[in-house]
Amino acid sequence: MNTNPDAIVIGAGIVGASTALSLTNAGMKVLVIDRGNIASGTTSAGEGNILVSDKAPGPELDLALRSRDAWFEIQEDIGGGFELEAKGGLVVARSEDGLRALRTLTSAQRIAGIDAQDISVTELRVLEPHLSHSITDGAFYPQDAQCQPMLAAAHILRAVRARGGEFVSGANVTAINSRSGSVTGVVTSKGTFNSPIIVNATGTWAGQIAQLAGSSLPIAPRRGFILVSAPTRKIIFHKVYDAEYVANVSSGDADLQSSAVVEGTLSGTILIGASRERVGFQDGIDFEILRILARQAIALFPILADIQLLRAYRGFRPYAPDHLPVIGEDPVFKGFWHNAGHEGAGIGLAPASAQLIVDGILGRTSFMDATPFSPARFAKAAAS
Amino acid sequence: MITFTFNGVELTAREGQSVAAALIAHNERISRLTRISGKPRGIFCGIGVCFDCLIIIDGKPNQRSCITEVKEGMVVVAQDGA
Amino acid sequence: MEHRHQVIVIGGGPAGLNAAKYAANAGCEVALLDSAPRLGGQYWRHTGIESDDQSRHHNFDQGSLLMDAVIANPRITIYPNTTIWSASVINGEVVLRCQDGAFITSRLILATGAYDRSLPFPGWDIPGVMTAGAAQSLLKGQGVIAGKRIVVAGSGPFLLPVASGITSHGGKVVGVIEAAGRFAWLPEILTLLQNPAKISEGLGYILTLRKAKVEMGFKQAVVAAHAGSDGLLESITVANIDAEFHTTSTYSIKCDVAAIGWGFTPDTSVAGALGLKEEVAVDGSVVVAVDENQRASSAHSELHIFAAGEITGIGGSGLSLAEGAIAGLAAAGSRSNLRELKKLRRKAKRFALTLQRVYSIPEGWQRWLTPETIICRCEEVNYGAIQDVSEKFGADDARSAKLMTRCGMGMCQGRICSRNVADLLNSPDSDRIKGVYRPIITPITLGELARDGLL
Repeated sequence: MNTNPDAIVIGAGIVGASTALSLTNAGMKVLVIDRGNIASGTTSAGEGNILVSDKAPGPELDLALRSRDAWFEIQEDIGGGFELEAKGGLVVARSEDGLRALRTLTSAQRIAGIDAQDISVTELRVLEPHLSHSITDGAFYPQDAQCQPMLAAAHILRAVRARGGEFVSGANVTAINSRSGSVTGVVTSKGTFNSPIIVNATGTWAGQIAQLAGSSLPIAPRRGFILVSAPTRKIIFHKVYDAEYVANVSSGDADLQSSAVVEGTLSGTILIGASRERVGFQDGIDFEILRILARQAIALFPILADIQLLRAYRGFRPYAPDHLPVIGEDPVFKGFWHNAGHEGAGIGLAPASAQLIVDGILGRTSFMDATPFSPARFAKAAAS
Repeated sequence: MITFTFNGVELTAREGQSVAAALIAHNERISRLTRISGKPRGIFCGIGVCFDCLIIIDGKPNQRSCITEVKEGMVVVAQDGA
Repeated sequence: MEHRHQVIVIGGGPAGLNAAKYAANAGCEVALLDSAPRLGGQYWRHTGIESDDQSRHHNFDQGSLLMDAVIANPRITIYPNTTIWSASVINGEVVLRCQDGAFITSRLILATGAYDRSLPFPGWDIPGVMTAGAAQSLLKGQGVIAGKRIVVAGSGPFLLPVASGITSHGGKVVGVIEAAGRFAWLPEILTLLQNPAKISEGLGYILTLRKAKVEMGFKQAVVAAHAGSDGLLESITVANIDAEFHTTSTYSIKCDVAAIGWGFTPDTSVAGALGLKEEVAVDGSVVVAVDENQRASSAHSELHIFAAGEITGIGGSGLSLAEGAIAGLAAAGSRSNLRELKKLRRKAKRFALTLQRVYSIPEGWQRWLTPETIICRCEEVNYGAIQDVSEKFGADDARSAKLMTRCGMGMCQGRICSRNVADLLNSPDSDRIKGVYRPIITPITLGELARDGLL
């Protein structure tokens, strides 16, 4: 085992794995560590969304556009095996207000470079024959894609290892060492590892990791549930969601935000989301929320009423107060880079976030200005 | 004696018998073909735990034939895939 | 519809029946829930046609008396055909959701029993290969003989009543294949002699099989099954094995049914959904942890939740009856009779553990697998795919295997495969327990979930 790698990535979820791949492809010897195994956190609790549709113009959308294409570049680079599918996303509006907001959004998105198509009711029925007849308006986003996130993280890490990197599972970080304002290494339950570059890719737990170094990150959990159906014949052909979803994502409300998100997967199951609440790391399943999710999904696709629910799972999305991810060097400790807080968009944003990190570390100009994502913004906000 | 159909053929069953038992009594042992490889399956655990004996009953797929009682006029069809 | 009861018992087998009876006799108002149309659980499974049932069960009289007593008891309401799909604690009460509504109580007794433990082997997914319990249930519960040429195999005392039952009703058993040695029970003879009723029961089965000239093989196991051109079971390969399940010579038997039982796995789905403390028993199964009064332990100390029967540890009907009685009394807050019952329980537990030692199953079955052997029947994941996860991704834990192969994510949600996967991967206890956590206990339609009801 290499105890003096060029870089240490803490976190073997999708963000950590992508970061490790970018660093490895840039010629560095990378060590990835995780207190669990591959995809032990939020990566295994999502749907594998790679979306441009749910973002309003702004830095996150720019990140998403680049990242979406980067996903297909990763597949070119390391091979497939993680169900990457450019299936397209369909956003439907169920009210006059919803439709107005959607049309406003799609116009703005088109200006920002997204292929957002306003579609007619006829096109709607062709795209999704089982959609409720009460829905007459929507927008189609051919760029939306999906993958199987656990397999994606696993395949990416496999490539990292094949190219000289290493992965240690079951390594719980207990201390992050520094000297004269630069990080020097980590102490873990599996040993001490030294490196001048440490990337914090621990998602919902990134604040706890930051604290170990003596820094801070205001990342908090936003709980979500997903329903999984029994494997069925194909009845839903794209990712389909209610236009209200976009408002939910950016809502600062702590109360339950929920709106219908429905899609099929290559394995035949149908995934149903999405709920968001700020209840800390609360354990257990809330059946009232599951009932709301089922109701919302049936409102979009009445045929779902007869489909069997097989299981439900719960995850904690990592979010920062301004709903933007945190990508950049820690303001206090040199060499300590954060790549976390992607809320419900971690899978989609991972490759481009990794690119920003490696460009930052190597001092290269990147595909976009990473300032909006800088961890320094919190200190500024606190100071003002 | 009650009657039901299996794959369009009329069969008889005792009152209270499960669909799986009635089919076995008529030497019908395949309730479905699997979703991925198209392999035949019939009953395995016999008590509703393994979900191998899935069959389409009155238009509803994924019914466990070993714990579903035959009813007069029931339409039972072997399930192909999911 | 909301059903509130003072005490709710889940499971109408020996443990649940006795729990209901004792709780009711101690003054409680009791609801007894079971997913089947008739009481009896697996042990006293019957068709409801008296002439059939009498002839099929060794001690159906005892079962029949108990079931009649429970049915006649004015304090017990029976809810058959009731399947619980979720169990949670809301505002200090246990809420059990079922198809038509919910059951609510603050005093719960879980007696959800067990099901056959199946070990994978090449060809075990061919129609005609089934569990010993499936053949038993077809005979006792349905009056149907499973096939024309039946092999009963595996290990344990359960094989005898299965084979004997089929034979007594005119079925043809072409072999009983027991993995343990013919005299494996000899070292435990003293404990066995303390249970004369059990000995005479066993001898009765053996005599029946002798009379029918049924061949019995010892230190043997079915290591492969083969299909005919119609895709149905045509023959099996039986191997001679040692105590570690190494195989030596083999021979083949033509059969259309191979009913195979390797002991039992407790059905702890409801217990797990409630967050009750679970542990791993000596035989590797996940069981509900209980104190000497059958009280389970959870984060909700204000609730009174008890567990009895196979879910606290596989132990047979005698132990289940004793545990059920104790749980019923404890749920009622009664102290009477407990000493006698606890004595009975101790004796039954000793007997059960003895049998477990005699018929213990080593890990050697894993050597019978090929990369093509199906491990997860629902999602058709084979052994090679699971090995791949370790080899390709360096992840050898059960969770990774599940998430990356879909093993355990199909309709049965790991009921059949999760114990085997845990064995194959040498999973720690905590992973075994996580592997049986199912908050959605049984599939329900999204329409049912969406319906208005309690909430």
